[in-house]
Amino acid sequence: MREKDAVAAYVFLAPAIIGLVAYTFLPIAGVVGMSLTEWNGLSEARFVGLENFKAIFTEDIFFPSSVKATLYFAAFTVVAGMAYAFLVALLLNQRVIGRGFFRSVFFLPYVVPSIGSAIVWAWMFESNFGVINYALNCVGLDKVKWLGEELTATPALGVMSVWGFGNFIVIFLAGLQGIPRAYLEAVEIDGGGAWHKFRHVTLPLLSPVILFNVLTSAVANLQAFVPAYSITQGGPNGSTLYMVYYIFRTGFKTNRFGYAAAVSLIFFVFIAAVAAIIYSTSRKWTYYEGE
Amino acid sequence: MRSRNQPNLALSALAAVLGLACVFPFFWMLRSSFMGNIEIYQYPPRLLPKLWRFSNYPAALSIFPFGRYLINTLTITLPSVLGIMLTSTMAAYALARVAFPLKKLWFVLIIASMLMPTTVTIIPIFKGWVALGAPSGYAPLIVPAFLGGGAFNIFLVRQFLMGIPRDLDEAARIDGAGHPRILVQVLLPLIKPALISVGLFAFILYWNDVLGPLIYIVRNEQNTISQGLANFRGGYGTDYKAIMAASCMSVAPAVGLYLAGQKYFIEGIVLSGLKS
Repeated sequence: MREKDAVAAYVFLAPAIIGLVAYTFLPIAGVVGMSLTEWNGLSEARFVGLENFKAIFTEDIFFPSSVKATLYFAAFTVVAGMAYAFLVALLLNQRVIGRGFFRSVFFLPYVVPSIGSAIVWAWMFESNFGVINYALNCVGLDKVKWLGEELTATPALGVMSVWGFGNFIVIFLAGLQGIPRAYLEAVEIDGGGAWHKFRHVTLPLLSPVILFNVLTSAVANLQAFVPAYSITQGGPNGSTLYMVYYIFRTGFKTNRFGYAAAVSLIFFVFIAAVAAIIYSTSRKWTYYEGE
Repeated sequence: MRSRNQPNLALSALAAVLGLACVFPFFWMLRSSFMGNIEIYQYPPRLLPKLWRFSNYPAALSIFPFGRYLINTLTITLPSVLGIMLTSTMAAYALARVAFPLKKLWFVLIIASMLMPTTVTIIPIFKGWVALGAPSGYAPLIVPAFLGGGAFNIFLVRQFLMGIPRDLDEAARIDGAGHPRILVQVLLPLIKPALISVGLFAFILYWNDVLGPLIYIVRNEQNTISQGLANFRGGYGTDYKAIMAASCMSVAPAVGLYLAGQKYFIEGIVLSGLKS
């Protein structure tokens, strides 16, 4: 029976194991191997040693702007997006009429095809006719060239991404609803107000959920692609040349696959480093019950 | 102190304002899709079209082959959703229910693979397909769905299976049922909600995918909706009424699916966030 179980288990697991090898292990080895070559997608790859890396760090004028743009986009979306998602979740956790309905409304953008979302947001951010500049005009502010300026292009694209943060709202809300009433009532009995409840019960109990959301949204938004690809093509002046778009362009547009693999490898280390930094600081601010 | 069940009107109003802001882009897309191009570019912008031009849609369809793209997208999405549901459930069953050598190792490896950002490996995976002689077409998009269906889905279904009492499969086992029968007849009906969530999210993922089709689909008549829409915007940059109508058509199926399966979407997200 034991052996039969093992055979059955491996049959059930076989597709996943093949997937693990073909889509995780081999590609990791592949990205390392390819980073040491020059390959145009057609002819044989040629071994060039560390030349690609040398070029990336010394000659490549796009690479530094790509790193900067990627960090700017991720920082903006994580900070603005977490604030948005957390505040909406807090709001929906109150005695709000039609809570379930609003939860559905805020989640909706999450399922919208990103190209469709990019098109309408780009139109809303359009500098001459866009409705966002019209709103600024209405309150007496000047028009902003949102997608045309280095400083504002990333925040404008970031807003589109944050709009789709409905999943994080739902996760925050589920976390808030999981906080035992008894804890909150204990603070009330001790005479604590809303701020005390928030600061000493809600925030600590929710900190693991916050960490999960921060990490997930950071890793997802470091990999931004669609806004740069469909709206700004990396511009103005490289300010939205996010790394995945840069990798894509280097590989599939200019056929420098070895070079793109080298950028991918650096990108991987970069994401891992950001995630590790977030995780290591989290020890100071996350609280796990029972510890 | 006010009663606990009394709704807070001020906060409800705030939620309504934020909710309106959240649906505004949908409204703006829809309203623009019924306008003429001159009206779209009017400043200050009009809230609603002066005249609702329903003819924008047939006009857009004559230059934006939505039907073709829809069939292409479904040709990729439906088998992929099936592959994900099938192979992730199989793997989850082995990991949740069967004792076998190296089980722990495989589980850890599968979980660890979740940490791998998928965009890092697009280049070597493309090279792999080139080596296999199929650099373009639908195979590179569909095949991976049949290879375990993603670590995350395996994990999700496994967690769900762990919550189901083992007595049920033991009883079936004593009656002589093998693993496939236990999974299909005893457990599948019980994990249906989790499977529906997995299926719906997989559908949205494939439906909205941009990078995959961009890499592997070369001929425009093979394009997906998202890719077709991106090209359409590139090619008809100033014909905004047509672009907005095409956008509305492209967004509508995803929104419709969400409205129909809301409950499973929300449950799936809650499960993913709190079980991890």
